[in-house]
Amino acid sequence: MPKVLIVEDEPLIRLLLEQTLEGLESCGVEVCAADNGIDAVEKIKAERPELVLLDVMMPKMNGFEVCSIVKQQLQLKEVYIIMLTAKGQEQDRLKAIEAGTDEFITKPFSIVEVADRVKAVLKIRM
Amino acid sequence: MIVSKLFKKTLLIIIVLFAVIALTTLFSSGWNLYQDLTQEYKSKGTAIARSIAGSSVDTLLNRDVSTVQAMIDQFTEIIGVSYVFVVDAQGELISHTFIPNVPAEILNLQTSRNVEPTDIFIKGRGDFIDISAPIVEGAVGYVHVGMDKGIIMAQLKAAMIRQMYLLSLIFIASVAAAYVLVNRVSQPLNNLTEYSRKLAQHEFTAQVEIHSKDEVGLLAHTMQSMAIELSEVFERYELALKDAIIELQNTLAYLTTVIDHMADGLLVLDIDGIITHVNPALSAMFGMRESDLMGKSCRDIFGDDLAEIVFRSRHDPKAVFTTEIALAESRTGKAVATGIQQEYFPLEGTEKGIGSVVIIRDITSEKEVDRMKTDFISTVSHELRTPLTAVKGFTEIIKMKLEEDILKLVQIHDRKSEKAIMRVRDNITIILSESERLTKLIDDLLDIAKLESGKVEWKTEPVSMAEVISRAQDATSALFEKKGLVFTKTIDDSLPELSGDSDKLMQVVINLLSNAVKFTPAGFVTCAARRSNGEVVVSVIDSGIGISEGNQASIFEKFKQAGDTLTDKPRGTGLGLPICRQIIEHHGGRIWVESRPGKGSVFSFALPLSKVEHAELSASKP
Repeated sequence: MPKVLIVEDEPLIRLLLEQTLEGLESCGVEVCAADNGIDAVEKIKAERPELVLLDVMMPKMNGFEVCSIVKQQLQLKEVYIIMLTAKGQEQDRLKAIEAGTDEFITKPFSIVEVADRVKAVLKIRM
Repeated sequence: MIVSKLFKKTLLIIIVLFAVIALTTLFSSGWNLYQDLTQEYKSKGTAIARSIAGSSVDTLLNRDVSTVQAMIDQFTEIIGVSYVFVVDAQGELISHTFIPNVPAEILNLQTSRNVEPTDIFIKGRGDFIDISAPIVEGAVGYVHVGMDKGIIMAQLKAAMIRQMYLLSLIFIASVAAAYVLVNRVSQPLNNLTEYSRKLAQHEFTAQVEIHSKDEVGLLAHTMQSMAIELSEVFERYELALKDAIIELQNTLAYLTTVIDHMADGLLVLDIDGIITHVNPALSAMFGMRESDLMGKSCRDIFGDDLAEIVFRSRHDPKAVFTTEIALAESRTGKAVATGIQQEYFPLEGTEKGIGSVVIIRDITSEKEVDRMKTDFISTVSHELRTPLTAVKGFTEIIKMKLEEDILKLVQIHDRKSEKAIMRVRDNITIILSESERLTKLIDDLLDIAKLESGKVEWKTEPVSMAEVISRAQDATSALFEKKGLVFTKTIDDSLPELSGDSDKLMQVVINLLSNAVKFTPAGFVTCAARRSNGEVVVSVIDSGIGISEGNQASIFEKFKQAGDTLTDKPRGTGLGLPICRQIIEHHGGRIWVESRPGKGSVFSFALPLSKVEHAELSASKP
């Protein structure tokens, strides 16, 4: 059963992403969430999700750090990471690439786009 | 007593002249006197000899020798007569006055028949003139009278001495007279010399006491008036000089005060990079004393970065070079260096670099503000976007759920319910489009803030304007379709490549195209690109509502959309064109609009070709 991890400190955005991916649960996708970077790393280690939607600006540990821990330190290359970067912050994109992200979606995102990307990565057809 | 040189010279001349004259007169008069005396003695001797000869004929004939002796003895008493002797015809000495015996030199004369006076020298007695007179034509004998030359010489000597006394007196008198005369001339000259010496030492108050009316007096007078004029001139110059010095000191003091009170640090370096001047602000910035800085090498004190810009400023004096520099107490300064040139260099006729001047400003707070601004921008970006993302996202979910889940289940019974559903649908669409607009506004605000604060990282890459326009066309095709407008483009085939940031330039073209669509209710939009005078000019032409002349100037300013925002429905963020202008100006280009209300608008921007490309293209042109 494919797992998707949503890492987002803003409860509303987390809720929005959860609701966006709600429809996938019927296809057998398990959605879980973390509200900070440290928790995210723990959950990734424990649950090995196929896909992580990773926010950048978070307290304690930001998205870049989480990404580089997962991709470089833990060598979990198979975990697909989509980073949610703010639009117009070009340095953030560069940092995200350096950290080893697989792709990024700029905020504010369209939920249709997010749903489509997740489906594409998990190769789910609805 | 100081004898004037003039007098000394005069005295010398007098002595020489006098000596010549005195000696000449002395000799000539001595000679004359000698001649006269000799002549006198000779004639005296001749007279005596003849008188003896006349009166002694009888006596001699009678051979009365004693009478002759007595007679001749008488004659020896006459002054000048030294001896008398008488010889007979045979030359035998008859009588004589020689005592005690006849000198040998006389014996030669005894037989002489010569009656001419003869000079003889008798050993032990001196020089004599021997004068003889015959007695009865020499038949009886001869009388010889010896005149003493010594008396002549003695008389001569006495006469000479008298003359010399006289000459000496005349000499002393003339020297005294010369002294007085020369003094009378040289005293004023001496005074004048002393006076001119004082003048030379700028003692213009000195006086000279010469009242004579001769040349010296005239000279003194001229000198005095000259001195007065000179002193006036000097006084004027001294006053002018004093004024100039005071002015200079004031200017210098003013400049020093200005420099010392500058908030910025001032550093002046000579051509070798040695510190020649610093102001207190600079010393304080680096927490060093002025004495620790003066005369030191710039590189040693301030490090390589500053030395580098100082070096470059010396070699390119027209340019301004800046660098950041660490100050004391972990503050940051910005150093601006320019070369100093001596502007007037008449010998070489060119400007000559003489060093560099560096201004250092403490930009710690500016940098802090800058950092805060950047932080603020990213914070605002995040803080605004998060709720906006939520609003937009949840609205999308609501719309989706409404369409897919709720409305399918709800049976539409009446017009009222239908109307309510329509209203909900419309309102959700409004929320979505407004949140889109808000998103766009935040994006534009961030863009302009970053452009203005120089936070944008610009790419420099070869840019094909045709490709940029083509990509912008793709990005805006949906807008054209929605409005049913015709899009055409006319692009020169051989449009040269530019150097710049293609994404940013595409942003400009997209902006102009979407604006054209926005303000064109019906008709066409054309995009044209051509090369013109070393530039590439891109124009977006529409057949829209146009812009009034009054608004044309302000539309490139922030939040200055054409029209009244209170009555007209705002249709954008008001930041699109200012962003375009920033991007175009960053590329060294310009952007402008030509428009007539009701007829349409032409927005154009021109980008310069790089110099190399321009030169190559010009060269390849036939």
